[in-house]
Amino acid sequence: MNFYKKWFWPLVMPSLLLFTMVILYPFIMGVVNSFLAWRGTYYFDPDTGTRATSMFNSFVGFDNYKEAFQDTRFISALVYTIKYTFIAVIFVNIVALALALMVTKITKSSGLYRTVFFLPNMLGGLALGFIWQFVFQIIFTDILFSPDALYLPFLRYMTQDSNKALFALAMLSTWQYAGYMMIIYVAGLNNISSDYYEAASIDGSSYWHSFRKITIPMLMPSFTIVFFMTIANSFKLLDQNVALTDGEFGTRLLAMQILRTVKDTTPPNYGKAQAQAVIFFILVSVITLTQVTITKKKELEM
Amino acid sequence: MKKSLIVLLVVLMAFSATVFAQGGTEADKGYDIYVYNSKGENAAQFAEMCAAYEAETGVRVKNFSIGSGQDHMETLRSEMNSRSMPSIFSIQGMKELAEWSQGGFALDLTTVTTGNFGKMAAAIPQGLRLTSNGKTSYGIPYNVEGYGFIVDRDMLAELFGSANVDAVLADIKAATYGEWETLVKAIDAWIAVPKATSVKLNGKTYSLASSKGTLSGKLTGVFAVMGAEKWTYGDHFINVALNAVFANPVEANEADEAKIKSLKGALLAYAQALDLKTSYLAGAKGKAVRGQDFVSSANYGYDQTVQIFADSKAVFFKQGNWAFGNIEGVNKAQSARLEFVPVKMPYQSQDVKRTDGTTVAQLNSSIPVFVPNYYAVNALVPKAEQQKAFDFLYWMNNSETGKKYIVEKFAFIPYNADPATMSVPNSLGNSIIDYIASGNTLTAPYHGAPASWSGDVVGLRVMESYLTKRNWTQADYEAIADYAIKEWIALK
Repeated sequence: MNFYKKWFWPLVMPSLLLFTMVILYPFIMGVVNSFLAWRGTYYFDPDTGTRATSMFNSFVGFDNYKEAFQDTRFISALVYTIKYTFIAVIFVNIVALALALMVTKITKSSGLYRTVFFLPNMLGGLALGFIWQFVFQIIFTDILFSPDALYLPFLRYMTQDSNKALFALAMLSTWQYAGYMMIIYVAGLNNISSDYYEAASIDGSSYWHSFRKITIPMLMPSFTIVFFMTIANSFKLLDQNVALTDGEFGTRLLAMQILRTVKDTTPPNYGKAQAQAVIFFILVSVITLTQVTITKKKELEM
Repeated sequence: MKKSLIVLLVVLMAFSATVFAQGGTEADKGYDIYVYNSKGENAAQFAEMCAAYEAETGVRVKNFSIGSGQDHMETLRSEMNSRSMPSIFSIQGMKELAEWSQGGFALDLTTVTTGNFGKMAAAIPQGLRLTSNGKTSYGIPYNVEGYGFIVDRDMLAELFGSANVDAVLADIKAATYGEWETLVKAIDAWIAVPKATSVKLNGKTYSLASSKGTLSGKLTGVFAVMGAEKWTYGDHFINVALNAVFANPVEANEADEAKIKSLKGALLAYAQALDLKTSYLAGAKGKAVRGQDFVSSANYGYDQTVQIFADSKAVFFKQGNWAFGNIEGVNKAQSARLEFVPVKMPYQSQDVKRTDGTTVAQLNSSIPVFVPNYYAVNALVPKAEQQKAFDFLYWMNNSETGKKYIVEKFAFIPYNADPATMSVPNSLGNSIIDYIASGNTLTAPYHGAPASWSGDVVGLRVMESYLTKRNWTQADYEAIADYAIKEWIALK
């Protein structure tokens, strides 16, 4: 104990410094810049119409926020992101849980399966996006689901329609994240003592009944973390969106909208992009905190 | 606890003091000038040239080129935010100028009146200057580039007989839009069923061959078009139409609402010409049609379409001389036989709103030739460093070594080339020089339109709603033109 008391600051300092430098300081500057006419390399003075002599001269109050909310592209990206998150969270969770139930049930080579399911998570988002672009444009459209083969119009040209692209993106993220979330569910499932299932089966409970009454309530801590991660990841999805559709056909998600805001005008309006980023931050925090509070309440105290 | 907080604060302050406040005294930066090059394609050759300059003059040059296809603006902005800013940086046209001139980074070269550099800057032709109002001048051009319909001379020889190639080329260049449209339709019919058909070009009659040859036997359509690349029909094709109203980017930049609305006729012509171009498409496996396949990057992206043209599956391919290397990579023999013919649009005489007397015939026999990129001198670096930057740019554009690099190693067409004596080692470059020599050039007014207008707004709409649509009507032409005008006004 004494050791930690004595060495507390020396041990904490490196991480604290790093945190301050790469997270805290940029974050604070970001919030500050969202109230300024920031142009990326200089501050603009709206009164003189030239480069501001100091950053205080470029204060624009809530103008950047007003502009962000008046921007139809921002609003439609927001709506699209909410739709996508809804679909992706359902997809990822069902698949991850199913995989977890499977790999905990089987006895042979379950390690191999876990590794294989986890693998897609090791790839970067851009690479994944391009791989799936090939899958959707060539394999789905021209080979598997073309009129000469298994004709399924819904699965063709998935990147060229904003509604279909929601499912295309969800399929991609399921492929990427399900393995990772599976690991969390596996840990949760392993924590449930087999005594409960034994007792239930003696009382004549069916598999589904046990699943609903034992597995789900006991898994609540895992649901809390998996929901949190999938919601946050879906909201922040960027690379996959850029690589798969580049926002064409009305498929811009929020993160990409923020990224492209600086390309919409010249000189680039970094202040407005920053305001969008702050709104984005608040939104993600509120949604994930609400979710964590709700799911936490459902967790059982053993 | 209080004590430890104080310790923490002191350490943090000391740290930030060292990080953020190093620039107090002028220490040696390890270079005399720092050149930022935003053309990744010539990175290695550019570095070589800087080394040659260093060897010749002893001036230490730090050079930085971005990776090919990388976002050069983000990198440049972070360099501008650092303590060692580039002394020479690049500005890709008027759209980017707004940021660097407002931020005070770009030095107005009209203020430099002394020395060789001052003379060189003053001698840049008005039409090639980087300016937003016609009075200033913010850069030394990298080179000039141009675009039009690329055509293979041997393909024309097989279609019209080898004795007629030069005459046919000259008459296609001079032909009216009506004749061009007839030619396109005749070639399309000929690809389906080859028979000797007569076509009128520039008033003269030519006959198509009665049977297919080795190259023309491979044809699947008239045009190779990059359906998935918005900039080809957004930025570049639409730019041709803007030339009917604006003589240069400055006029486009200063256009008021009435002037923008007067684009209607030219934009209708644009939509109609685009309809023609995308109705007679060549595909990899046969005739292609507009539709969802056509906008898929797996089928009609940049490389795929270059392949279609280089495989002699199309007669015309709207691209610029920058595509030379790509075509050469696929078909070296063909790349030596290429020429440009102009992009033609069905303007009525009242659609042309230019005040300099430009006629429909002139517009339809010219190709856009413009400066894609400029070297700007940083106004925020010390005067001595600026002077060294001037000397470097002068050397690059005037010394034998510098010129050799520009022409031979970068494969550029120098902006200050004399068209009468200049020739470059590639067919498309020489074709552009011919157009410059005859004065048949257009400019790039789309640089003066709002930043995202031509590509990300109009180009995107054309791709999403029209290139996927099999048949276009007059109402579609109207809708495209009205949308383009409405968005320009909204973005202004």
